[in-house]
Amino acid sequence: MPDDPFDTFMAELVADLKPVTPLRQGRGMALALAALALGAALLVAVLGLRRDFAAGHPEPMVTTAAGVFLVLAVASAWAAVDMARPGVGLRREGWGWTALMAAVLPGSALGLAGVELWHDRPVTIDPGGVLCLGLGLGTGLITLAALVLWLRRGAPSSLRRAGMLAGVAAGAAGAFAVSLWCPHDNLMHIGVWHGATVVVMGLAGRWLLPRWIIW
Amino acid sequence: MTVDDASLARLAALAQQGDRQAYAALLAACRSWLLRYLRRRVSPEALDDLVQETLLSVHRKLATYDPARPVIPWLAAIARYRFVDHLRVTYRAAGEVELDDEAVSGEDEEEAVTARLSLDRLFEALPEAQSRAIALVRIEGLSIAEASASTGQSESLVKVNIHRGLKRLAALIESA
Repeated sequence: MPDDPFDTFMAELVADLKPVTPLRQGRGMALALAALALGAALLVAVLGLRRDFAAGHPEPMVTTAAGVFLVLAVASAWAAVDMARPGVGLRREGWGWTALMAAVLPGSALGLAGVELWHDRPVTIDPGGVLCLGLGLGTGLITLAALVLWLRRGAPSSLRRAGMLAGVAAGAAGAFAVSLWCPHDNLMHIGVWHGATVVVMGLAGRWLLPRWIIW
Repeated sequence: MTVDDASLARLAALAQQGDRQAYAALLAACRSWLLRYLRRRVSPEALDDLVQETLLSVHRKLATYDPARPVIPWLAAIARYRFVDHLRVTYRAAGEVELDDEAVSGEDEEEAVTARLSLDRLFEALPEAQSRAIALVRIEGLSIAEASASTGQSESLVKVNIHRGLKRLAALIESA
């Protein structure tokens, strides 16, 4: 055994070495997508599929919104999964453009509301949308759990950003799942309530997740 | 001990498979690199502890090394993370210290990579007031009052600058 305490410390690390499987981006994504699919399947199994989807004549607005949320979920999950493997100089900015694209939905809803208010016309925000928000958050928790599990195995260097990305991915996954069931077609409902799922989950992830993924 | 990144990558990949000889060589190379990397921004009294903490993180998070990527940026990210964590918890622990002003510079490739990834780059991304407040209080071990007198900032402002600077450093670990 070496005399120098530092050499002893290193010798202990070497003695403690066990084979490890490198964290692979593909495995992390498979986990996240499986969680997303599970959440969507559970929600549809319990509440059913939208009639137009079930009939094979999907409403364009809803289909587009669901697609946007799905792409945002995948892009954010990709960035969150990648953050488990640290490295100075790595660029993980692609999700930001997707988030900007997704922001068009609530942005348009708020813009329309502004126009209505400008012309002294009443703006109605369906209070029943709270159910969509709740269901989206609940369903998104499955994806969130998968991503937290992955990040805890990894070494994210920016805990808040990793938490926010996991939250955005989970919120978008929840919004996508809700889109498969929610009977509403209008932009105001989708932009406000489904969009809020992403915002709420992203903020919650940023503020609450660091303590779960610290290393 | 100086090992090129291709050799480090081979050692890290072998270590992930459980090869202890390769792992011992990897740790020795990492230790040597970390001592040079951290010495300009860490007091000599704290340097060994921080290198040990970083190596422990390397040990615990060995699976996060991607064999398709170079080792040094991975090691630097872990070192920066531990360094920022060290700044958070260290407060006058080392007293007044003399920092080694010898720049981490050189002409070979490894030195150039080190310079690109250096902690100075991290500090350069901070506003001057935040960088100075952190350096004086969390690295050189001055009290808030002493730092306030040295910089002309009020004591509250020194505290705010440290708080904001540390948050910003944490966010910049991979990007600066």
